[in-house]
Amino acid sequence: MSEWALEGDGLTRRYGGFAALDDVAIALRPGEIRGLIGPNGAGKSTLMDLLSGRGAPLSGRVRLFGRDISAMPARQRRRAGLARSFQKTNIFPDLTVAKQIGLATSAAEIDNSVEVMDALGLTALRDRRAADISHGDQRRLDVALALVGRPRVLLLDEPAAGLTMAESLNLALLLRELAARWQVTVLIVEHDMEVIFSICSHLTVLQLGRILAEGTPEQVRSMPEVITAYLGSSVA
Amino acid sequence: MTGKATRALGICLAVGLAGALVPRLIGSPLLLTLLTQAVLNAILATGVGFLVRQNGLVSFGHAGFFGIGAYVVALSGKYQVMPIEASLLLGILGAAGLALLLGAAMLRLAGVAFSMLTLAVAQALYELVLRWRGLANGDDGIAVQLPRRIFGLDQSVFQQPASMFTICWIVLVLVLAGLALLIASHFGTLTMAIRENEERARFIGYRTLPPRAVVYAISAAIAALAGALFALYNGFVTPDVLYWSLSGEALVMAVIGGTRAVWGPALGALIFFLFKNAAGDLTEHWPAIIGGTLIVVTVLLPRGASGSVAMLMERVGMRAP
Repeated sequence: MSEWALEGDGLTRRYGGFAALDDVAIALRPGEIRGLIGPNGAGKSTLMDLLSGRGAPLSGRVRLFGRDISAMPARQRRRAGLARSFQKTNIFPDLTVAKQIGLATSAAEIDNSVEVMDALGLTALRDRRAADISHGDQRRLDVALALVGRPRVLLLDEPAAGLTMAESLNLALLLRELAARWQVTVLIVEHDMEVIFSICSHLTVLQLGRILAEGTPEQVRSMPEVITAYLGSSVA
Repeated sequence: MTGKATRALGICLAVGLAGALVPRLIGSPLLLTLLTQAVLNAILATGVGFLVRQNGLVSFGHAGFFGIGAYVVALSGKYQVMPIEASLLLGILGAAGLALLLGAAMLRLAGVAFSMLTLAVAQALYELVLRWRGLANGDDGIAVQLPRRIFGLDQSVFQQPASMFTICWIVLVLVLAGLALLIASHFGTLTMAIRENEERARFIGYRTLPPRAVVYAISAAIAALAGALFALYNGFVTPDVLYWSLSGEALVMAVIGGTRAVWGPALGALIFFLFKNAAGDLTEHWPAIIGGTLIVVTVLLPRGASGSVAMLMERVGMRAP
């Protein structure tokens, strides 16, 4: 067993001459909640895509608990224990909530669907079409689809996008609790600094496709280059 | 669940029996002939509609599979290679197998490109049968040599409108019941999920191409079944059974009936034939009336006739089947 839950090495993706991600390495310890922050266009979503197998990397390797999963398509990575949610809500609009959760569950070895639906407040909506529930509920459904089957590593791409500040903080605290309960390692992209600082044990800061800084929230918050590049004066 | 299954079984039996009584109630041989054709086409349209429902894909080439079903029966009679019952099965399996192979390649393409390729493949089959006269007499067509007994029944049973109507009706009800079961199964949910969001289906751990290819194959098999029944009934097969206009008609039926309900396209086929008949009595330009109606249906009833029926039933407090 590797000391790392998830490792990415030399991850690079170019669009034309532009390097969206340039030789990035990242490693998550089992059980940690890592925040991934950076300005728009820093490469956060690209990094999530490379780790989760959305499109093939031009170069680089990804290991899940020491096992090389670089050649695996997204489907196999999910079955190996690496799940993700999406920044742009990515659900099955014409299926009921229960049907799609059930479908995701039957691809997994562990059935925690009742717990997941309860925790994310979806139980009362089980027989509703996903297209007919509120945006906030759809966001939680997107996360629920990734959480069923208790993945070992969970990639969350702005799970709270479009939610109010109170809603996003609640969701974040809930995710922290679930991650601890099921020992899920989490990598989360989030713009809301309050959310990030309240749930993350470590942060990685991306800028222009490279890693700018890494450390605990307190360390990162006080790094001058981070302040100028991203956080600006609002957090100083 | 068992209550639901019992109810569904009850509906099937009731509809099956009701259909079997139709020939006794209808005196006019002309109308009965028309209805038999309608039910044959209803089976074809059901196949086309199932592809739309489960894969979100439009086929312009289901005449190709219909024609395979018809020609395999006709050719096995000509060359005396196997019993007619076996040829029926061979045509259906052959169409399904071809669809699996084609699907593995074509289903990687987005909607319109897929539709165009289905048209191209079906037209290629049409040209093949038309030009390779040695195979099936080209556009002269080929008479189907029927043995005296088919599936233990006298051959005339398959050629008289009254009895053939009953046979086709029962086949249609069985096909619809089978599809309803399939839709309610895990496979049904999975294929609907893939239709809705193929990427997320992969990200929750599923292969997406094989299930879509299987839906295409099932849809093709149903079309071939309709073709084989047509060959038995008509006793004569020409390349017209492979022509694109038949694919187009089947699609029109599915659109008129609506594809959300599995029985929608079959209802569309009945409406299409009765309407075509009425319009044909009025004017020789009946396709214009059909076309105009199609536009009206698409605009006013986007969910088709079956969607309207389901809506009416909900309004009077019943759950649609």
